[in-house]
Amino acid sequence: MDLIDNILKGERAAIAKAITLVESSKDSDQQISRQMISELIKKPGKSIRVGFSGPPGVGKSTFIESFGSYLVGQNYKLGILAIDPSSQITGGSILGDKTRMVEISKNPNTFIRSTPSRGSLGGISMGTREASIILDAAGYDFIFIETVGVGQSEIVASNLVDIFTLIIGPGSGDELQGIKKGITEYADIFIVNKNDGELKIEASKTASDYKSALSYYKKIDELENQVLLVSAIEQTGMEDVIKTINQIIDQNKLKGIFEERRANQLEYWIEEEVKNIIATGITKRLSSKGNISKYSEKVMKNEMSMFEAVETITKDTLK
Amino acid sequence: MTNKSNNGFNTWQKSFEKETKKKFSDVKSETDEGIDIKPVYTKDDLENFTFVENNSLPGQWPYTRGPKASMYTNRPWTIRQYAGFSTAEESNEFYKKNLESGQKGLSVAFDLPTHRGYDSDDDLVMGDVGKAGVAIDTVEDMKILFNNIPLDQMSVSMTMNGAVLPVLASFIVAGEEQGVDRSLLSGTIQNDILKEFMVRNTYIYPPEPSMKIVADIIEFTSKEMPKFNSISISGYHMQEAGADNVLELAYTLADGMEYVRAAMSKDLDVDDFAPRLSFFFAIGTDFFMEIAKLRAARTLWAKIMKNFGAKNERSLILRTHCQTSGVSLTEKDPYNNIIRTSYEALSAILGGTQSLHTNSFDEAIALPTDESARIARNTQLILQNETGVTKTVDPLAGSYFVENLTEELSKKAWDIITEIEELGGMTKAVKAGIPKLKIEESATKKQAKVDSGSRVVVGVNKYKNPKEPSVDVRVIDNNRVRDDQIKKIQAIKKSRDITAVEKALDKLTNAAKDETNLLAPCIEAIKLRATVGEVSKALEQVYGRHFAKSLSVSGVYGKHFEGDQEFMKVENKIKEFENLNGRRPRILVVKMGQDGHDRGAKIVATSFADMGFDVDMGPLFQSPRDVAKDAIENDVHAIGVSTLAAGHKTLVPELIKGLKEIDPNSKIIVFVGGIIPEQDYEFLYENNVSAIFGPGSNIIESAEKVIDLITDNLSKV
Repeated sequence: MDLIDNILKGERAAIAKAITLVESSKDSDQQISRQMISELIKKPGKSIRVGFSGPPGVGKSTFIESFGSYLVGQNYKLGILAIDPSSQITGGSILGDKTRMVEISKNPNTFIRSTPSRGSLGGISMGTREASIILDAAGYDFIFIETVGVGQSEIVASNLVDIFTLIIGPGSGDELQGIKKGITEYADIFIVNKNDGELKIEASKTASDYKSALSYYKKIDELENQVLLVSAIEQTGMEDVIKTINQIIDQNKLKGIFEERRANQLEYWIEEEVKNIIATGITKRLSSKGNISKYSEKVMKNEMSMFEAVETITKDTLK
Repeated sequence: MTNKSNNGFNTWQKSFEKETKKKFSDVKSETDEGIDIKPVYTKDDLENFTFVENNSLPGQWPYTRGPKASMYTNRPWTIRQYAGFSTAEESNEFYKKNLESGQKGLSVAFDLPTHRGYDSDDDLVMGDVGKAGVAIDTVEDMKILFNNIPLDQMSVSMTMNGAVLPVLASFIVAGEEQGVDRSLLSGTIQNDILKEFMVRNTYIYPPEPSMKIVADIIEFTSKEMPKFNSISISGYHMQEAGADNVLELAYTLADGMEYVRAAMSKDLDVDDFAPRLSFFFAIGTDFFMEIAKLRAARTLWAKIMKNFGAKNERSLILRTHCQTSGVSLTEKDPYNNIIRTSYEALSAILGGTQSLHTNSFDEAIALPTDESARIARNTQLILQNETGVTKTVDPLAGSYFVENLTEELSKKAWDIITEIEELGGMTKAVKAGIPKLKIEESATKKQAKVDSGSRVVVGVNKYKNPKEPSVDVRVIDNNRVRDDQIKKIQAIKKSRDITAVEKALDKLTNAAKDETNLLAPCIEAIKLRATVGEVSKALEQVYGRHFAKSLSVSGVYGKHFEGDQEFMKVENKIKEFENLNGRRPRILVVKMGQDGHDRGAKIVATSFADMGFDVDMGPLFQSPRDVAKDAIENDVHAIGVSTLAAGHKTLVPELIKGLKEIDPNSKIIVFVGGIIPEQDYEFLYENNVSAIFGPGSNIIESAEKVIDLITDNLSKV
């Protein structure tokens, strides 16, 4: 495929079109996309995939603009996949992340793609994993995956990346109640943004609150440098972030955690795909047979119980 | 109510209900501001006022009836037409012609590079030089601008906010080199930065240092330029961006309060500077509402200033300039604009404005020609000389309706002002992006009303002209202007003492670090022929450049179209498109160059998203190449370019070139919306623009056209 060659050459338009293919809901596109990904996966690059999540308003995009500028300043190639929520009502979306990434969006060493979430679970869109495989093959050093922090999203997002980062704002101590165990298992680094101006004191306080809250869940030795203070606006603390990322990656590689994670993610991916295919197939069968209403009528008339109906339909469908 | 009048009213009500076959209490029309207008007002509607005082007189507390006792009976309002384009030489010629034809004051429009602190030779401003105003790079340009116009006699208003320091400094130095001491200079500098963050986007630095600059100018002028208005607090651009009158009124006054506080933080006594604060409002087509707005503005400001402890009566009085609404002008059937402008001008007069700009009818399409500018000016001359409106002060005082409306508007605005104060003032509210979002919401509602036909705009959505007249427009060759400016800059840079300039600029940077007043060191640098761009950069070193974050409303537009056939047709087309192509139609909406008016872009983005498009928004101030990269990476089907500053002939071809450079097979189509003279249509189509949408285009129809064009384009091999 020409497309694959052009992706490997790092051609911008080819990468973009490939991402469109993996995001497409059209059957024929999906077939091409599977072939393409099967090829690309054989030619892995050296990317580190970093996930960024956090509640709305903490300055995720502004942080990425700032941190991204720092990285491209060090001659790294940076790919960014930003997931924007779609409207539940109209299905359309406004993808405005780039309005906050003014400087890096101009840089020739970046590739920035926004994707509407399409209301999928956890704000991760269909195709995000594949998109990162494309960027990896195209030679990007870092791939950022930015998601809006809503409930489940962290867990799904953390299954796509090598290192997962939660961005929080000063004074978000109230959310400590909410972070509980779940998130700490998935997040590797906590970044407290807005460590500037009037908010400085509040930001340090939030950082230490997080540190002490985290100590309940994690062993102390894992905690080192995990809560970082940055200011996206003043561009401070960026060296700490990259240093910490590199440290954790190196350490994980040494301990074999890095490979183990990728293997687990592959397993998860396979499982997801199988489930998807089965679910799609079964849904098709269910609707083509159209006999659920037949049974529900019987249940209404007390001719059979709800559970008997479920059992019969299931047997019938799985035949 | 007495029994007698009660009986009278009951009889009237019966007749009314018989004639209309409706219950009286059901008949009311809601304005954009959320005020219910009744079909009749009576004496009872003058009762229980909190703000308006029924027996007040002109020139007296609370100044509802006008800042002066005699008003136009003694001296009519100042006819002050805003103008400027191309080079200083050409603008100077235009000014002199206007002054000979009866205009009394000058009002200078600067081009966007000047506003944003870039010299004309900066690569970033390629398409913008001399387009929406005059290009000023050094004091030499300023001197040419006022050549043979005596600055000790002429009051000059300057619309400048971002690069306010170098521009005001150039004006002062130009005056001095003309032999006029700065203490004799009269006029106004807009210097209202807060509204730039809300709507117009011609800022340079972040909000806090910008506020410091505002305060510096108020401090300097209050000490050294007693005849000069240090600020013109402007609601105009808010209404232009779609704010209703309550929002315009409340935010403008709240901005004013923030400036008063900024000046007081410089240890100035409120009475030292308050008399030199001036205001600027837009006058739209809602005739009585606009009259009430000016009356309410004066009433509220008097109260606000009293609360600040002002003792001098002149500190309590709100003086204002007005301009008829640009956004009410239509590209379709453009001569209707003369009529709209006339009524708007009459509103401003009945509201008691101190000076007025009337728009030229062709301003929805291009910059005014000599001929259209003459008609605009004559609109005011006829009002002053033929209609008799100058003979009585505040003739609508005592009108049950107008007084009641004044009170209602005051109340609603006061509520919003109180909210803002509780948030900690306008700088904080602006930083949080609240006013911007409210204005965008209001704008989207207004657009939806026009598109759905629930608001009639003659010649646009009803009573369309079957034979659209063609209109001659002024053409600016911005490449020539840019070349001229670059030559001038080069000549000046050769002849000046560069060591002295650099020293002066360092001094300025240090002053910014030390937080001392910046205007004096600016004047020094400008005197030595530092450029506007150099001065701006010297400060940028300390303050940085501001990038706004962009929030968007959603769902506001679509809500007006529930069950609407046309709207559903587009929604269905989008669903079909998605089934066929595996994704929704995706468009990138952008502005390019230094044009920061983003109302149109925002409305298109939110309404297209409401119909089901995926809409990418680009940042402001992008170059065509940045846009091309953005479009390719996101693999959009189409780019919508919004343009209001006439840079399209340079920027759009550059964009299309940029797309082909990254991807020779690019299938991305480009459409353009905004202010584009018909004469340019052919040029743009020849340069592969797929569609052009002028002002007043129906958004749903436009969306349908866009999706059809995308579908057509995809089917081509």
